[in-house]
Amino acid sequence: MEITKKYWKSLDELNETKAFLESKEEEFPKGMSTEEFLSEETSESSSTNRRDFLKFLGFSVAAATVAACEAPVIKAVPYLNKPENVTPGMPTWYASTYYDGATYTNILVKTREGRPIHIKGNKDFGFTKGNTTPPVIASVLGLYDSSRIQKPTIKGKQSKWSNIDTSLKVAIENSKTVTLLSGSIISPSTSKAIEDFNASLKRQGKALNHIQYDAVSYNAIRKANLENFGVELIPDYDFSKAKTIISFGADFLSTWLFATQFQHQYGYSRNPDKDWMSKHFQFESNHSITGSNADYRAMIKPSEEQAVLEYILHSFDSNVAKPKLNSAIKNIADKAINSLIETKNESLIVSGSNNKSIQLLVNKLNNSLSTYGTTIFTGNQIHLFKGDDKKTNDLIDSIISGNGSDLIIFQGVNPVYTHPKGRDLAKALKKRKNTVCFSMHMDETASNCEIVCAESHSLEVWNDHNPKTGHYSISQPTIRPIYDTSNFLECLLIWSGNIQERDGKNSRNGYNYIKNNWTKNLTTKNNWNMAIHNSCINIEDEKEEGVSDFIDVRQISKVKKGNGTTEVIFYQKTGIGSGTQAGNPWLQELPDPMSKVTWDNYFTMNPYEMKAKGYATTFDQENGLNLATLTVGKNKITLPVYPLPGQTKGTVGVALGYGRGGNGEKIGKAAFQTKEYGGYVLGKNNKPKPIGQNVFPLIKNIDGCNQYSTIGSLVRSDEKYLIASTQIHSTVMGRHSIVRETTLGIYKKEKRDAYNPKHTLQKLDKHGNHVEAPISEFDLWDAHPVENIGHRWGMAIDLNACFGCGACLIACQSENNIPVVGKDEVRRGREMHWIRIDRYFSSDEEAAIGTKKDKDNFNLSDAEIASLNPKVVHMPMMCQHCNHAPCETVCPVAATTHSNEGLNQMTYNRCIGTRYCANNCPYKVRRFNWFNYPSYKKFTEVNPAQDDIGRMVLNPDVTVRTRGVMEKCSFCVQEIQAAKLVAKKEGRAIKDGDVDCACASSCPADAISFGDWNDKNSLIRKDSVDQRSYQALEEVGVKPNVWYKTKVRNEENKDLAKLQKSKHHGAANHHDAKKNTH
Amino acid sequence: MNKSFYKTIKPTAVFLSWFFVVSIIAFGSSSFSQEEEGQVKIDGKSLFKSKCSSCHQPHKDGTGPKLFGAKNKWEENAMEGSIYLWVNNWQAAAAKDPYAQSVSELKPSAMNPFPELSKAQIDAILDWVDEQPVPTKSNDSLANAGPGGEEEEESGNSLIWILLGVSFIVIILSVGGVRRQLSISLKEKEGTGDGKDKLTYTQELKALAWKYRLQTGLISLVVVLSIIVYLFQTLYGIGVVEGYQPSQPIAFPHSVHAGKNGIDCKYCHNSVMKSKTAGIPTVNVCMNCHKQIQGEDEAKKEISKIYNAAGFDPTSLYSPGKGQPIVWNKVHSLPDHVYFNHSQHVVVGGIDCKQCHGDMTKMTETAKVWPVKELNEIEGNIKLTKPTLTMGWCIECHDKKEVSKGSLDTKKDGYYDEIHRRLLNNDKELYKKYLKDNKVSVKELGGWECGKCHY
Repeated sequence: MEITKKYWKSLDELNETKAFLESKEEEFPKGMSTEEFLSEETSESSSTNRRDFLKFLGFSVAAATVAACEAPVIKAVPYLNKPENVTPGMPTWYASTYYDGATYTNILVKTREGRPIHIKGNKDFGFTKGNTTPPVIASVLGLYDSSRIQKPTIKGKQSKWSNIDTSLKVAIENSKTVTLLSGSIISPSTSKAIEDFNASLKRQGKALNHIQYDAVSYNAIRKANLENFGVELIPDYDFSKAKTIISFGADFLSTWLFATQFQHQYGYSRNPDKDWMSKHFQFESNHSITGSNADYRAMIKPSEEQAVLEYILHSFDSNVAKPKLNSAIKNIADKAINSLIETKNESLIVSGSNNKSIQLLVNKLNNSLSTYGTTIFTGNQIHLFKGDDKKTNDLIDSIISGNGSDLIIFQGVNPVYTHPKGRDLAKALKKRKNTVCFSMHMDETASNCEIVCAESHSLEVWNDHNPKTGHYSISQPTIRPIYDTSNFLECLLIWSGNIQERDGKNSRNGYNYIKNNWTKNLTTKNNWNMAIHNSCINIEDEKEEGVSDFIDVRQISKVKKGNGTTEVIFYQKTGIGSGTQAGNPWLQELPDPMSKVTWDNYFTMNPYEMKAKGYATTFDQENGLNLATLTVGKNKITLPVYPLPGQTKGTVGVALGYGRGGNGEKIGKAAFQTKEYGGYVLGKNNKPKPIGQNVFPLIKNIDGCNQYSTIGSLVRSDEKYLIASTQIHSTVMGRHSIVRETTLGIYKKEKRDAYNPKHTLQKLDKHGNHVEAPISEFDLWDAHPVENIGHRWGMAIDLNACFGCGACLIACQSENNIPVVGKDEVRRGREMHWIRIDRYFSSDEEAAIGTKKDKDNFNLSDAEIASLNPKVVHMPMMCQHCNHAPCETVCPVAATTHSNEGLNQMTYNRCIGTRYCANNCPYKVRRFNWFNYPSYKKFTEVNPAQDDIGRMVLNPDVTVRTRGVMEKCSFCVQEIQAAKLVAKKEGRAIKDGDVDCACASSCPADAISFGDWNDKNSLIRKDSVDQRSYQALEEVGVKPNVWYKTKVRNEENKDLAKLQKSKHHGAANHHDAKKNTH
Repeated sequence: MNKSFYKTIKPTAVFLSWFFVVSIIAFGSSSFSQEEEGQVKIDGKSLFKSKCSSCHQPHKDGTGPKLFGAKNKWEENAMEGSIYLWVNNWQAAAAKDPYAQSVSELKPSAMNPFPELSKAQIDAILDWVDEQPVPTKSNDSLANAGPGGEEEEESGNSLIWILLGVSFIVIILSVGGVRRQLSISLKEKEGTGDGKDKLTYTQELKALAWKYRLQTGLISLVVVLSIIVYLFQTLYGIGVVEGYQPSQPIAFPHSVHAGKNGIDCKYCHNSVMKSKTAGIPTVNVCMNCHKQIQGEDEAKKEISKIYNAAGFDPTSLYSPGKGQPIVWNKVHSLPDHVYFNHSQHVVVGGIDCKQCHGDMTKMTETAKVWPVKELNEIEGNIKLTKPTLTMGWCIECHDKKEVSKGSLDTKKDGYYDEIHRRLLNNDKELYKKYLKDNKVSVKELGGWECGKCHY
């Protein structure tokens, strides 16, 4: 096959425009020797000779010095009337709630001088127990987005709220029916306000048609439960009680249904030190985060899901015919069946499919195991995702055909982008009168509507939520609205005549209404204050269980397979989700937990299949990946193909949420592709080109439910496309000492030596004999006096708990003012994140990560090839704060030094940027400021610190670094200092838990513990001496202050068992490791 | 590139310039300035300093325009006596006199009215200003750093030295020329010279330098060293803000509040115990007292500015308006890369405000950065040597200040008690070493580490 490779950096280059060809010529100056240059006559006669040059140089230095002498006059403006609970210089925390239409969680918001600057989960109150996802933490940046709509608009012109109200009044008078298409509304007060609105319309003789719509729908669960229980419900799941977890493509740790609740439940069931540890089976096509944490993972196609379910169900229900499975799937399915038989009702089966037949089968299986009542609760219902796909589709069809209501209101939805028929809808809306849209951005839907109500950010308004039966919570504003914006609740109250006047930025209308509603129905006056303080309350609600009626499986219809060669799975990335925060640069630069790709959308395909089909499977800074075109029906999508080990052969995955703002809609500066030296890449329509492609139009509707998998054909192109990934190698390459893992059986039975051997070296004892001694006895330098005196800050990371979501990375970015650098810089390996999550796939050369199958014939180049269906380890990696830090000894200016508290300090002002330290770091965690990110034009579009409003998100306690200095994780030294100061002022010693690093406090799995190692009772001290604890690259002898805990899988692994039982294995292996690292 | 480059390094010039520089260094810094003032004459200098210097300088535009030659300009352009009216109440003057009107548009900031100044006093100020010589460039940067006039007087002295230097050069050159001519004619007379071996100045100087090469070498070494020392001293002075006293929108006298009325510093700067900033008093704090105390004369005018800010009407004791925040000029500013926490020093360290901010009870003018010399004179202060608000000054104190004195018998549950206990229990040697001077200093517990203040 002939391959003409073509690499291109820009469209200009691809199209070979004239300007590009000219600039290409000029890119390199003609070669000229020094003599030639000096002897050139022109230089003799030129007006600037060397002496003049020196004069200018001297003068400019002197001028710069003189200019630097004058101290700038700094203004200080105190409050006129200081709010009682604000102390300048001190943070104020507010308990609130996050809900964006898909994700719900209880949060704490940190404000400084009235500005929210950081969000973390609320560990003390609420059933989400402090769990967050990256979009939750990053939403604080969305508040300071200068591309938000700043005033309400009518027909594209800025207007006043009073005008909006009058226009709407006229519109209502002129129409017979009003349609409201909203996101899933879980707010009791908003629901009541909608009822009020409906009532007021009725009084005028009109009708309200309210439809709820979710961009990513869970309709099939509700429909299946309607059939089984008579109620359209989503039951509550409890993963913490499930000893066997079987998931069919449900990414319940990242995006599926209620991840913020499931994360800690799952984490609870995965603790190997408890009596039992859950066994997790994942049958999926994409390699999801959840799948990467499963004990057994089977690669299936979406079309095989029903067969696998029936195969398992057959063991518990003889009515079901036993379908044939291929051996790899059958093998794991059999194991799953055995596990289910063992754990019976303490099991849980979930499916991410939105097909009713599949969900009916899942219900049936759960019912056969009697899991209802132990792990699934139909009485306790999840109120999220109330969307009705069929009603929405009917509405959108009627709008497209020019019929439907006279007045249409959109709230919390963006159907022009998220609905398969969005393009037609846009055309229809443009022609229509009386369309109203609530939005924070002039997005795809808003820009086609007549009246646009500028919506406030959720951190600016009062709101209440009822996410689950018996649980109520409150969102409170943490800042006055920055722009002239309002919210849905206030507008409804005005439009229904409930209140007469708007309250501008004071938000009292919403507050009064919610308070009134709560004190009447939910709380007394006293615990209303408590509810705000905690952000939530639990109330015994009436439970509606429904009557179960499980039909015979034979009545469940078969899922039909379409025509095509490649099955396509649409998934949501943990950062971008369904695209609501596509303009958020933090989330765009968050490496995808599995692919580690930033700023892009792509097809994921198994590298084995890619090789067979002639795709490039490796890529780097200058070498891209093949583009391919997917055809589904009339729709064509062209994206690069990324090699993701573990993707089912014959399938590709592609993420939703990309390709936003294709018509140049203002949805945020970072939502578009940028050029190498700043500015946007322009698309064919001369508008900024969006990142990735919108795949929502490919979604089909079957039985009234939107399907997130389809079938089509994929055609490879020879054209290549550059990808920015933070990790371009796949496996750990046999470096035993980086990652350690074992199985539950070995962990429970064997001693530490078997699965977590200590590193030793030989030394001479008193009698001159060679003896093995622990690595800690060998020292090149004098020890820092940090052990036992003062503090010694340390961190322990449980690899078994960490599932790789990336919340820590975003929390760190928010806390430590880490700049965003954009795709081009990430591609060059210049990302600035202080914490990265290394993802290692296992290789067939190793039975498990770090344990070589054949020590003598170990082939490193083969070891880099990940298995077809590999095991995965996620390993957070940040500065290890080594007590014998190699970076400190090579710094020529002592800019990086060791503190007496064990911290590896970085003094930016001393740093002269030699980068010796980064070269000498064995963990490669130091980051260099190649540019002045807060001012250089290249980063104007991506770095929020270049925006006057965006800058307000910066943490005032952390220096914004400038060009030419090194930076790295500081263990959140500002938080350490603050916690110490609190203890000092209170006249007490530091308590365990006083100091919380951003990463540790944001971790939904509680994988990271942080504290004072010198405190003998601290958690970190206990973790550091745990049987599972080891230090990464301990044998290098740098004495890190970070410990990792061995990963334990609840699986049978004969190869691993063989290796990890031999007692002297550790020592033998160590020598190998040494060989490899040198 | 060409030979002339090397030729042009003329020994004459080098010699003269070092002589010149050394003389400036040697004498320029010594103080020759003792103002002689008649007893009857009104002290224009001190009046200028107390009333005008926060905004005006004699020769340089600052917050207000330079005052040198102002008197002449007004005499030429404005109505008679208009300048006095201007100083007393500029708004009245601007309304009356078109020239005054044009002056009022020079700067965006409004001038404070000085109704208390008499004509004679204003004359004295302006006369004094006009007497001030134009500063030379070499001293300009130093003069800017301080608010006072001493430096400017010094620059007057260096002008004399420059003139002296120039005349020296002229004398040397002319004497040298005469000598040269003489020696040439002598040679011609003796018949030894034929005009060909006429030496140029350069060659002659080279010969001379070669003849006295030891002396030349030594002198050059001294010159180079002194230039280096001078350069370093200048560089170290950059960013030193001792004596910085910016103008303020309200002439707030600390002496009245903290001194005469004995109000505790923490009443107004009330976040000093809680936060990293001490807090500039918010207007509502001012109004706690000034709702009643409306002041008289001068004070009344200043207090009325608070009323304007608070939107308060003193006659009806009612706040009808929205108010306008007061924009102060920050006096003590640390660079952004320094983390300093007031509560750490005041609550934990038990440091008195006056250790860093001086004795504000005696500060009649607006706040300033107290020079370290003045701070050292205050009783109870730890004596330091480095300039105020420099890092040297901070860490010098961290070295001298003790965290707590020694024995563990009194140790309880406090933060530092635990730290001391860990030291005593685990590294007695080190603890003894720390206690050699009978104290454990901040430095010994890590107060000199970069990461304690820079992150």
